Amino acid sequence: MAVVLIDNREVEIGDSERLNGIQAAERAGVEIPHYCWHAGLSVVASCRMCLVENGQKNKETGQVVMQPKLVPACQTPAKDGAVFITDSDKVRQARAQVEEALLIDHPVDCPICDKAGECRLQDYHFEHGQKERRADIRPFTSRKREMGETVTLFVDRCVMCTRCVRFCREISGSAELMVINRGSHEEIDVLEGFPLDNKLAGNVVDLCPVGALGDRDFLYQQRVWFLKRHASVCSGCSTGCSIWGEENQDRLWRLKPRENPHVNQWWMCDEGRYGFHHVHSDDRQVGPRKRDADGVMANVDWAALPDDLSARLKKAGQLAAVLSPHLTVEEAYMLAHYIRGLDPQAVIALGPVPIEGEDERFPNGFTIRAEKCPNRRGVEEVVRFFGGIMSFTEFLGELDKAQIRGVWVSGGYKTDWLDASQANRFASLEVLVVQDMFVSPLWELATYQLPGGSFAERDGSYVNHADRLQRVSWIIRPPSGAWVEGALFWRLQNRPGLYDSRRILAEVAAEIPYYSVAWGEIPETGVDLKLNQLAAAR
Amino acid sequence: MPPFEPILLANIGNADSHTLAGYEAVGGYRALRKALTEMQPVDVIDVVKSSNLRGRGGAGFPTGLKWTFLPKDHPGPIYMCINADESEPGTFNNRILMEEDPHQVIEGIILSCYATRAQTAYIYLRYEYPQSLKRLQQALDECYAKGYLGKGILGSQFSLDIYLHRGAAAYICGEETGLIESLEGKRAWPRIKPPFPAIEGVFHKPTVVNNIETVACVTQIVNRGAEWFKSIGVPSDPNNPRDPGSYGPKLYCLSGHVNKPGCYEAPLGITCRQLIDEYGGGVWKNRKAKAAIPGGISMGLLTEAELDTPLDFAGPGKVGCLGLGTAAVVVLDETVSMVDFLHNSCRFFQHESCGQCTPCREGTAWSLDMLNRIKAGRGRLKDLELLLEIGDSIGIIPGTTICGLADGAAWPIKNAIRKFRAEFEEYIKRTNPKGYAETHAVPALISAGAH
Amino acid sequence: MATERVLTDEMVAAITALFPRYPTRQAVTLPALHIVNAQLRYVPIQAVVEIARLLELAPAQVQDTLSFYGFFKQDEPHGRTRAWVCRSISCALRGGEEVLDHMCHTLGIKPGETTADGRVTLEFAECLGACDFAPCMLAGDTLHKNLTPETADKAIASLP
Repeated sequence: MAVVLIDNREVEIGDSERLNGIQAAERAGVEIPHYCWHAGLSVVASCRMCLVENGQKNKETGQVVMQPKLVPACQTPAKDGAVFITDSDKVRQARAQVEEALLIDHPVDCPICDKAGECRLQDYHFEHGQKERRADIRPFTSRKREMGETVTLFVDRCVMCTRCVRFCREISGSAELMVINRGSHEEIDVLEGFPLDNKLAGNVVDLCPVGALGDRDFLYQQRVWFLKRHASVCSGCSTGCSIWGEENQDRLWRLKPRENPHVNQWWMCDEGRYGFHHVHSDDRQVGPRKRDADGVMANVDWAALPDDLSARLKKAGQLAAVLSPHLTVEEAYMLAHYIRGLDPQAVIALGPVPIEGEDERFPNGFTIRAEKCPNRRGVEEVVRFFGGIMSFTEFLGELDKAQIRGVWVSGGYKTDWLDASQANRFASLEVLVVQDMFVSPLWELATYQLPGGSFAERDGSYVNHADRLQRVSWIIRPPSGAWVEGALFWRLQNRPGLYDSRRILAEVAAEIPYYSVAWGEIPETGVDLKLNQLAAAR
Repeated sequence: MPPFEPILLANIGNADSHTLAGYEAVGGYRALRKALTEMQPVDVIDVVKSSNLRGRGGAGFPTGLKWTFLPKDHPGPIYMCINADESEPGTFNNRILMEEDPHQVIEGIILSCYATRAQTAYIYLRYEYPQSLKRLQQALDECYAKGYLGKGILGSQFSLDIYLHRGAAAYICGEETGLIESLEGKRAWPRIKPPFPAIEGVFHKPTVVNNIETVACVTQIVNRGAEWFKSIGVPSDPNNPRDPGSYGPKLYCLSGHVNKPGCYEAPLGITCRQLIDEYGGGVWKNRKAKAAIPGGISMGLLTEAELDTPLDFAGPGKVGCLGLGTAAVVVLDETVSMVDFLHNSCRFFQHESCGQCTPCREGTAWSLDMLNRIKAGRGRLKDLELLLEIGDSIGIIPGTTICGLADGAAWPIKNAIRKFRAEFEEYIKRTNPKGYAETHAVPALISAGAH
Repeated sequence: MATERVLTDEMVAAITALFPRYPTRQAVTLPALHIVNAQLRYVPIQAVVEIARLLELAPAQVQDTLSFYGFFKQDEPHGRTRAWVCRSISCALRGGEEVLDHMCHTLGIKPGETTADGRVTLEFAECLGACDFAPCMLAGDTLHKNLTPETADKAIASLP
């Protein structure tokens, strides 16, 4: 155990931990300002904003010997006896000088800059900067340059921290971004003909500490101080990157990665990052519909529907439920129980699992997976518990036997998820309930069309490819006329009060051994369900 | 003072001094033979260490000590980089050695590689020395033909390749790790230390970087011994155990307002005035000196009253200069405007700053902007305050930058303004009578910027 | 869009001949740029892309290095002779700035530009390391020493 002093506050560092001054200070509740350092990238110590005084305390004598020169906290290891001073006049002056230097050539166009409100240059100027401008006043320039299809660069706002360049060299391995020229003429650029277009490109916008790099998808859309963020998990693939969903008044504006050392570190891929626009698509189905005796679809009211559904399904005969891998664990569990409640012999099957291409692994280990849904593992284990894993293809075979009379199909896919020939195998059912966001060949055949939720509206848990269970909080309310799966199943099971996914998860953990470690408070970074095997082995 | 018998420049002046035949005729490669047959690598390190030879590239770090930083049992490869990027304004002694006596340099490289167990050496040669390129390449070819380079040199187990690597006109490639980055094919942004090159240098392997004049000294030390080397120069201060002294001969460059600009070999420790008067024929045009740069422009300025400062590693620091640097003296006569001098210096450093770290990138540009504005007749007294603040705050000495270029940019600012304050104030008041007292920020001077 | 190859076989051979000297191909970047520049008198973007392929680097990595030096022209070739006039302190003290100004007027171009007939590109240099002959100019591989405006004119006139 190492002990480090931060401004005379003691901080303990574990024997196997390798922390720098910034990280040790964070533990003491002290923020050392910095631009270029990032825990996921190489250390370059070039911004010089994190300069601190550093010394060593003699354990026996208690005497502290300080180095005469400032050192960057990012490149100074927090080893036993290290002393960091972050608030002396010397340190304050150095910080103010760096901040001032960065503003000399900066357009200071905050009123038209997306980054305002989450900009380090702003924040540090306010906290650490000089009181007034001392450098010559320059004419305004704020040039814009496209780096690629998704990222734009406001050249003159750049502070040359090189995080973006290092990201492309070290993480995505694609090295499209470069520094050009030398000295105060340096700029970030791409070579003509070789735009920024790797699948992790959007991360450079997260990394940029100022408003230089911008997301073209988000540009000029919302002021960040209006956004509220909610912890969720990306539904794009089985990697299950932890994310923040940022919304204002039930409109989802952007997704950002959420730090999770077990899953995605600090990153997410572009497909996940920008793959949420379907949530607000005009094609979202709203308002449930029911086929009347003449086979014509008519709008119905949600209020009477749950009881109507239960009665109709109970009368139908043998039932089945197709559980989409987009359902949360809680939703899958409730739906399965609900259908079994109506028919103890009901068949429970897994919905189609969308696979696109191959897993794509990047130099640092980050992987975009071919399985393009967030909870196949989780739903699969629910299906297994309820009678063994049955794939969608196997289920279609079951349908052909013509014994099943009523089926509840949950969808929730982003894009086309089954074709007309697959849909037609549902054609001769007595009752077909389709719960989905968008029209599909199956939707057209349904007896009941139930508009359901998107990932952004769900509350519950997903299990990723590595058996990690992570909780997702709902980010926005569904469009009026849609009823999110979890809340609808809660009502169908006649549970009192409002939908509470935590209660359901506790029940899942108690009933299904695979989920046994998920009974208590789930950490923000999720829980490894394989721990149940360790528990079982004891 | 009796004239010093040149050692390093002894062969210069012979028509064939740059050829192998010419070099061997005066005893060349005798040191190499001695080392390979009678000495172990560690013996070569020892003799260089005992000589207290300090690097001639500008930092003055003890060479033998630097060699001992290499890890003892490293499986290799170990690399040697020879810093021939000589770009410090006022300096040209490396050029003369490479053009006129390349074999003395090459023999020194081979000896240094033998000592450090390097099997590959790169001579990083600045672009602006085409004659050196030609002469070095010819000399290397002669060495390979003679068996002084390549596999199994002189029948020993020691093999060495030396390659020339040409730069592209960037001063920062003379910084140890800037050179390494440039050699590796990247932009020459100096690395943060630790790790130091001896542990992790070029291609992530242990590396020693030495200057051209330093390796020439190695040749002479192996030839004549450590005691010989220590019989020349200024002994270490007996009261200071950390003082390695200033031993050996030094190639002083003298230029600017003197009658006989040139490269002169003298023992370390002659004074600036001696160099000017006894070697350089005195200040030109019967004028007086106003100031002199003691060791390349990065070192700052000596006033006329400070010209008796000894030019050894300790001397210039005692009168507020950065150090001895490259021992390149540039004389400014009484007609020189210190504003012009400082403008020239700031322009140089703004152009050469690598741009990696904030204080140097922005500080050098800000300094030049102010000097441009002052020269355009729109200076303020406040500018002198700001310039001094920049000068006092950027550099590895305060710890605010990654490399010493910033210190080199800072020292001329500090010395010029502090030692010639009255002249700066007079200039500003005279050329900007209406605005010199302004303390608030003023509009920038817009000039056609060039890269 | 098929772009014509810019690197000749000779250039490629010269570049690949250097591979054994270094443990990485990236280290051949600067030598490769010099090889191309010596022949073409500039390094167009297409050459950057081809060098990158040869060295197994991303093209932006080569361009990053190239642009750092401010040495290689990329839009069009420089003149038959590149005349570097020193502007550092030792030359400035002995009239170097006046020589450069004079040459700009004589040739009718600014530093960095090329005469209309393609003969000469004028450049300023930082300390050519020939302070013993200040003020001086490096024209091609020849050092012109102790220049005055008149001798500078003569030197320029003597260039091919």
